[in-house]
Amino acid sequence: MITRQISIATPIFLLIFVIQEAVISQFRLPGGGFSILLIFALTWAVLSQPEVAAVIGFAAGIFMDLSQSASGPFGQWTLIMLLAGYAISYIGYGDDNIHANAIGIVFFVVVANFFVEIAYLVTGALLGVSTGSFGQIVLTLFGMSIWALLVSPILLPLFTRLHALIFDSRSAL
Amino acid sequence: MRNGGEGRARLLLVILIVTSLFLITLDLRGVKVIEGFKQGTQTVLSPFQRAGAVVLNPVKDFFSDVTHLGRTRSQIEKLEAENANLKIKLLNRKNADAQLKQLEDILDLAGMAGYKVLNAKVISHGSSQSFSQTITIDSGSNAGIKKNMTVLSQFGLAGVVKDVYPNSALIQLASDPAFKVGARIAGSQQIGILSGRGNRSASLQLLDNSTTVKVGDVLLARGSVANRPFVPGVPLGYVSQVDNSAGAVAQTATIRYYTNFSTLGVVAIVVSGPTSDPGDSLVPQKPRVAPIPTVTVTVTPSPTASN
Repeated sequence: MITRQISIATPIFLLIFVIQEAVISQFRLPGGGFSILLIFALTWAVLSQPEVAAVIGFAAGIFMDLSQSASGPFGQWTLIMLLAGYAISYIGYGDDNIHANAIGIVFFVVVANFFVEIAYLVTGALLGVSTGSFGQIVLTLFGMSIWALLVSPILLPLFTRLHALIFDSRSAL
Repeated sequence: MRNGGEGRARLLLVILIVTSLFLITLDLRGVKVIEGFKQGTQTVLSPFQRAGAVVLNPVKDFFSDVTHLGRTRSQIEKLEAENANLKIKLLNRKNADAQLKQLEDILDLAGMAGYKVLNAKVISHGSSQSFSQTITIDSGSNAGIKKNMTVLSQFGLAGVVKDVYPNSALIQLASDPAFKVGARIAGSQQIGILSGRGNRSASLQLLDNSTTVKVGDVLLARGSVANRPFVPGVPLGYVSQVDNSAGAVAQTATIRYYTNFSTLGVVAIVVSGPTSDPGDSLVPQKPRVAPIPTVTVTVTPSPTASN
């Protein structure tokens, strides 16, 4: 069962990573743009059990660390994403108002997106990564949240169907 | 049973956290395995990025054009069907022309200073998710590019080579918050440190508090030992605002970069610097105001028939 899940999930993660790096990164979108991998991982984390969400976050974090635009040390995104995956799944676990409701999932993903970026900034500051002026950070944070709010509803049906396909859940919206 | 499941979940979480911390420690200690892993990923990714750049360039231009032409929507609708095929050709041509113009200007700049350069196309703009400002170019170590080489745009400094892969290289843009370059003011030769801010402006910190800086002053790169990472004399930008805060140890100023980082299509990598410092010879010329001819009208009284 686990072998099947991993063997299907790995190419999906790979594909989304390639789309992020080869397609989304071509556009210098205003307000910092969005990360499709981040939105994907957070959506799956919301729909999964906490321990599965932690593994999803871990895998997504590894890919995000492999991205050439990752400015921090390798493992920073991995740590943040695994904790974020576990946390948002733990908060929403067992709450059908979230799992069965598209608006609830989008809300969770957007808020998580915002806090994940803040966590990256805080850990980056601790590890000595330069992140720019306060105004620029605020602009990027809000810009990325707005992008997540616009993009998540469009991608949600696809992401939930893929999740249902792999984890046999009834979460497809 | 339930307790056993929770215990396993906790154990898994602890293992993953320890693994992440282990990876961070390895990277901070400069272990080569991690670097090799990243290099391998970039080597695999660069053909996809190159393909993406080729396919998406017309689309990027198309969106840009639609935004600018939004005001004349009615006109566009009328001509859209008629011009569909021509537009695609034109966009491709426009893209090529723009890149050619950038290339010509870069070569002019490099030739004036005596830099030996390699040209490369931008194949990817880095994501802002990590608050960094980077681009990827389509040439790498196979073309002779090495780490810490200066990267130029047609207007001046674009950035520095941060990482090199066989067929691509990662450029840290001068707008990156972690970017720092030694600068001097053209003319007065005052020196300072220029730091990126995440956008087209940068902050300059002068090293000598007794000197002054004024709006419009042009900044050039001071150059590094053996011309790496920075060759001397590259135009950086101009002073757009002077910050005169009382009690500051050193005077600071806001700088506007000459390079527009969001429109970079072609860049040049300086593979060898000039034999002598070009000094202030690369300071961009201020736009000359064409003199308006003054029309002088001389009124000559017409002869009147008096008799």
